[in-house]
Amino acid sequence: MIVQHHIDSFNKFIDVGLQKIIDEQGIIETDLEDIYLELGRIRVEKPIVKEADGAIERLYPNEARLRNLSYSAPLYLEMSVVKGDSKTDPVETKVGQLPVMLKSNICNLKELNDEEMVNNGEDPLDPGGYFIVNGTERVIMTLEDLAPNKILTEFSERYGDKIEVAKVFSQRRGYRALVVVERGRKALLEVSFPSISGRLNFITLMRTLGVETDEDIVNIVSNDPEIMKFMLENLEEAEVNTREEAIEKIGSRVASGQATDYQIKRANYVIDRYLLPHLGNSPSDRLAKAHFLGRMAESCFELALGRRAQDDKDHYSNKRLKLTGDLMEDLFRVAFNRLSRDVKYQLERANMRNRELNVGTLVRSDVLTDRLQHPLATGNWVGGRTGVSQLLDRTDYISTLSHLRRVISPLSRAQPHFEARDLHPTQWGRLCPSETPEGPNCGLVKNFAQMVELSTGTDDNQSIKTILYDLEVQPNKMNITIDNVPEYEDEVGNYTEELEKISVEVDEKKDVAIEVFSSEKLDDSDNLGGEL
Amino acid sequence: MDKIHSMPKRVGAIKFGLISPREVRKMSITPIITADTYDDDGYPIDMGLMDLRLGVIDPGLKCKSCGSRAGECPGHFGHIELVAPVIHIGFNKIIRKILRSTCRKCSKLLLEPAKKDEYLSQLNTLKEIGHLPETYVNEIFKEARKAKNCPYCGEEQLEIKFEKPSDYIEDGEKLTPTEIRDRLENITDDDVRVMGMNPETARPEWMILTVLPVPPVTVRPSITLESGQRSEDDLTHKLVDIIRINQRFQENREAGAPQLIIEDLWELLQYHVTTYFDNEVSGVPPARHRSGRPLKTLTQRLKGKEGRFRGSLSGKRVNFSARTVVSPDPNLSINEVGIPYEIAKHMTIPLKVITSNIDILKKYVSNGRLIYPGANYVVRGDGKRVKITEINSEELAEKLEIGWTVERQLIDGDIVLFNRQPSLHKMSIMAHTVKVLPYKTFRLNPSVCPPYNADFDGDEMNLHVLQNYEAMAEAKILMQVQENILSPRFGGPIIGGIHDHISGMFLLTRNEKNVNKNDALELLRKAEVRELPEPMGYDEVGDPFWSGKQIFSQILPKGLNLEFSAEVCMKCDTCKKKECEHDSYVFIEDGELISGTIDERAIGAFKGLVLDKIVKEFGTTRGSQFIDDVTKLAIRGIMRTGLSFGISDEDIPKEAQVQIQKSLVTAETEVSKLIAAYEAKELDPFPGRTLDETIELSIMQKLGKARDQAGNIAGNYLGLENSAVIMARSGARGSMLNLTQMAGCVGQQAVRGERIRRGYSGRTLPHFDKGDLGAHAHGFVKSSYKSGLNPTEYFFHAIGGREGLVDTAVRTSQSGYLQRRLVNALQDLEVQYDRTVRETRGVIVQFKYGEDGIDSTKSDYGEPEFVHKVVKSVTGKEVV
Repeated sequence: MIVQHHIDSFNKFIDVGLQKIIDEQGIIETDLEDIYLELGRIRVEKPIVKEADGAIERLYPNEARLRNLSYSAPLYLEMSVVKGDSKTDPVETKVGQLPVMLKSNICNLKELNDEEMVNNGEDPLDPGGYFIVNGTERVIMTLEDLAPNKILTEFSERYGDKIEVAKVFSQRRGYRALVVVERGRKALLEVSFPSISGRLNFITLMRTLGVETDEDIVNIVSNDPEIMKFMLENLEEAEVNTREEAIEKIGSRVASGQATDYQIKRANYVIDRYLLPHLGNSPSDRLAKAHFLGRMAESCFELALGRRAQDDKDHYSNKRLKLTGDLMEDLFRVAFNRLSRDVKYQLERANMRNRELNVGTLVRSDVLTDRLQHPLATGNWVGGRTGVSQLLDRTDYISTLSHLRRVISPLSRAQPHFEARDLHPTQWGRLCPSETPEGPNCGLVKNFAQMVELSTGTDDNQSIKTILYDLEVQPNKMNITIDNVPEYEDEVGNYTEELEKISVEVDEKKDVAIEVFSSEKLDDSDNLGGEL
Repeated sequence: MDKIHSMPKRVGAIKFGLISPREVRKMSITPIITADTYDDDGYPIDMGLMDLRLGVIDPGLKCKSCGSRAGECPGHFGHIELVAPVIHIGFNKIIRKILRSTCRKCSKLLLEPAKKDEYLSQLNTLKEIGHLPETYVNEIFKEARKAKNCPYCGEEQLEIKFEKPSDYIEDGEKLTPTEIRDRLENITDDDVRVMGMNPETARPEWMILTVLPVPPVTVRPSITLESGQRSEDDLTHKLVDIIRINQRFQENREAGAPQLIIEDLWELLQYHVTTYFDNEVSGVPPARHRSGRPLKTLTQRLKGKEGRFRGSLSGKRVNFSARTVVSPDPNLSINEVGIPYEIAKHMTIPLKVITSNIDILKKYVSNGRLIYPGANYVVRGDGKRVKITEINSEELAEKLEIGWTVERQLIDGDIVLFNRQPSLHKMSIMAHTVKVLPYKTFRLNPSVCPPYNADFDGDEMNLHVLQNYEAMAEAKILMQVQENILSPRFGGPIIGGIHDHISGMFLLTRNEKNVNKNDALELLRKAEVRELPEPMGYDEVGDPFWSGKQIFSQILPKGLNLEFSAEVCMKCDTCKKKECEHDSYVFIEDGELISGTIDERAIGAFKGLVLDKIVKEFGTTRGSQFIDDVTKLAIRGIMRTGLSFGISDEDIPKEAQVQIQKSLVTAETEVSKLIAAYEAKELDPFPGRTLDETIELSIMQKLGKARDQAGNIAGNYLGLENSAVIMARSGARGSMLNLTQMAGCVGQQAVRGERIRRGYSGRTLPHFDKGDLGAHAHGFVKSSYKSGLNPTEYFFHAIGGREGLVDTAVRTSQSGYLQRRLVNALQDLEVQYDRTVRETRGVIVQFKYGEDGIDSTKSDYGEPEFVHKVVKSVTGKEVV
């Protein structure tokens, strides 16, 4: 199927994504004491149309096109009001209308055969994979992005000096944080991440994360003698010696001029929230973050020592594609947030007027509907990105197919970006070498190759871990205790020699295994650092 | 009131200064005191923002100040008396500087008197030599700031902190605008001069506003919506805000409100005045409409691409212009342009009715706008413009009298300007004579494509109709196409034969080709040659025949002498001149082509030597006629033989293929030898190169050679009877390289001058071994387009091809910007009558144009002299 990637991705969004976002939210809190809403299962029905006389009918796409309707299905969410200890029975309420992708699992065309399709005004050869909003056909473009949660090393320049930096776009639930470890002047390591102005000393940060002793810090980076030498230089220049000092130091950076207590509180918050958020945001994730920073530092040193080359940003294994499902997820998350805020407001108002708190009357379903439909109709997505949805090109059948398989790079077309526009050998079999527009978008707008198949990522950490353990990866066993955090043993750690041997063997088998695994994998916000 | 006829006035000088409160009041026709605009009847309120004395915008009403109607009245200023002074947001920078460099007590500039005199005289000298005083003034301020105590009253100076958007804090205390104004007022005129300002036109205290000018309503017209509702301009909205707050401020102050409230209102007034001037000041939330749209205030009107300067003044649109697709017509002269009837009917030229043209103009008027050629408007003796319609055409024709003006439609022979964007050089706009034709495109002779850089794949061009005789004469003398045959860029013709003209001439003049009488007449028919020369001979039947060279000679001017090597010249070691066996030595004597082939070197754009000589020796008119004749003759010449190209023209014999294969295999083995040597570390690096660079370079070199070899082999088997070879060798289109790639071997694909290196780790594609440095693994395509590429070759070719696409896309925008900056920098330079190059102020840039005073248009391909050629043409002897 020519648009299977859209359909699969949308189906995954319907099956897993919707519920995931509801579960992330969990409850809708209020400013009222002891009153909140508990969210349950979310359910989508099939596309319907509500006539002016209140009649509800099954909607087929062509009717939507002809009558300028939106091809969308009602969303139902279970909610119950919790008041102190008492909790009402979950009530299923309509929360909004979700635009439905044609030929997806919840599309009315799904179970029709060719003849029935014709009877319903549909061309059986139409590929589907797009939406109908207010009667216009809209495609959500596939966006190509730099892989999140993956360490990329490169040379950079600071005041005329060539320095080595390791960058990672850490992503968690639509929040993106750029974390940079750099080996700057005098080979000193510095780290920068959001909410921190300027850069932090690496050693200070490691101590803050609970890796306190010199030995641990060195070991967490590398056991290579040359790198250890570099680390010793760093340790000599260390600003702080204990964890407490380190936290204070960071506190003075994030909240200068405030009370010491507040500074420490703020430092802890910043560390958990803004540093490598993809590894989690609770204190128990700190060691994982330390390990990750260690790896970033190691790759900096390796680059400095010439053991590794700069990462090729245009290599397709460093790219991830954001498909319809992922974009709808972003959209739905924001839209649902908006809805919960509205519900909260309605709830507080209803409570103030001493009305009975009835879930059904609290939800204004057009809040969510509008928030979902408007971006789709205009292409102005959440996060300020424009042109995400486009009017489906119906110049001819071929141009429709081409449009549905288009990939857009978010790079600005105003700058040259010569390298990004080049056809990269890793695009073989994935993207068409010939089809790209001439002019300012040349090489930035691409199309899928004929036979490409896109895999959807997984959030299932356990099975990834199992696979890794099967490859004889040893769990990390550095016994560091962090206050009231139990011993930390369960993080997937460094490569063991065994794994290196295996990966070399795989290499010799022409990289097939690795290449396949790392290619068109989707964004998975919670995977293990993005790397195998 | 009698209409005063406008007298032409000349701007002598423009002086910039600050507007003083006195001036504001002087030019104001009324104070504005009420925030309301209209009363209940929809009539403007007196002393309101829409006061009738401020000018009128509604049709029918008369201005109370000047008595003129809407459209005539330019509008008149009013003013608002501000209750308390506020800072003008545009002058914060300079206010800050002045505050910091004057005494907080006595307002003297914090410099010793001697220093002041010194600075002042320096400033005066700067002014005399015409330099900007700005940087120097900044230095003065910097110097004055250093003083800790006032040298006059001894007062200790305190640090003044500036806080965005317009707060001045001295020692923790906020200075009110009143305090600031007092300080500025006390500065002596002499001190003001030292600060680089002229106290007559710009006293510093005028930067603090006490009275606000209210622009006339014509500046801020209100619009009436379909619903009959009035919608006011953003500026009016803002002024309403200012008046309201001003009033409230006054009331509160008079009522003795607490200081806190007064301060708040003062701040609010400051906010409104600030956003009235600029609604995008950082640190100030923009004032918004009820809908949430930010207001467009004064600065926003002027600033940016759509602002008054770039959008409305520099970017004005013009009338009397047309635009459509262009298509070719070789039967037009290069001086002509074909214009569709439909466009000709809409474009007009105003003609004054005089005795000699009244009859024909009457005819035009009575034809009206529908019957071509007609007229669209007449301007009567009283200046009234009347549209000609079907109904009034006869009547107007009847009434037409001397002194009227008729706007007649475009007819053949009119001079118009023709243009294609981007207009990168002067030949992008040239004057053509009109030829009205059927259909809907502009037609032009394909020979004028090169200067416009036009082709016919959908290009559109613009046409501008000149509106008076002076303009037409000027255009004809300076801008007509024939005056631009020679390009000032390289002193050769930029207009000349292209593509088929060259192949056609080549086919006609190459070797001895016999042309019978019928063909000869057909060939020369359009070229206006009325007599055939003596035939070259007679065939078996006794019919006369002529040679192609003879035919071509008929369009050459008599007295033309020229010799040169043609494009097809094989560059033999010793040139046999006239006896060249390749017929590639062109020898023209007294307008007679004796030997040689006419190709790109003779008649091509950029290169054509015959063309160059004719234009330079026989004038532009003869030159343009020659080009016209060449196009006509060549088109018929190419049709006589025919020229086609197909896939079978790329066929090369088996043995050639075998040879190509062999040479490619040899190259590959040589490359592997190189690699082996490199891997064994036996390779010697080139000077200044690393080993890696050396191996890459040598491989590139080897493979390049192999491709050329393949091309040569293919070329040897494809003779001059092959159309592709004809086109390539004569310079008509394409190159031997194109042919090599089609028939022989496509060759190395490169990205930014290097072999393809990026891709998977250690290799480009998974089809190759890691570390393979071989030809195939890095983008060498050994197949030809004809034989077809294998998948990896195809992919590498796509990589190489993509680079080309990106390059063209990115480069056009970059070079356009570069050109724009260069033009902006040089546009005002001018060659004066004393032959110096000067800029507008008269400052000399070059003593002689180009340091040598040479007009490159008249040079011989950029060479200033051609003495050798002159000597040779006179004595017939070669001089060195």
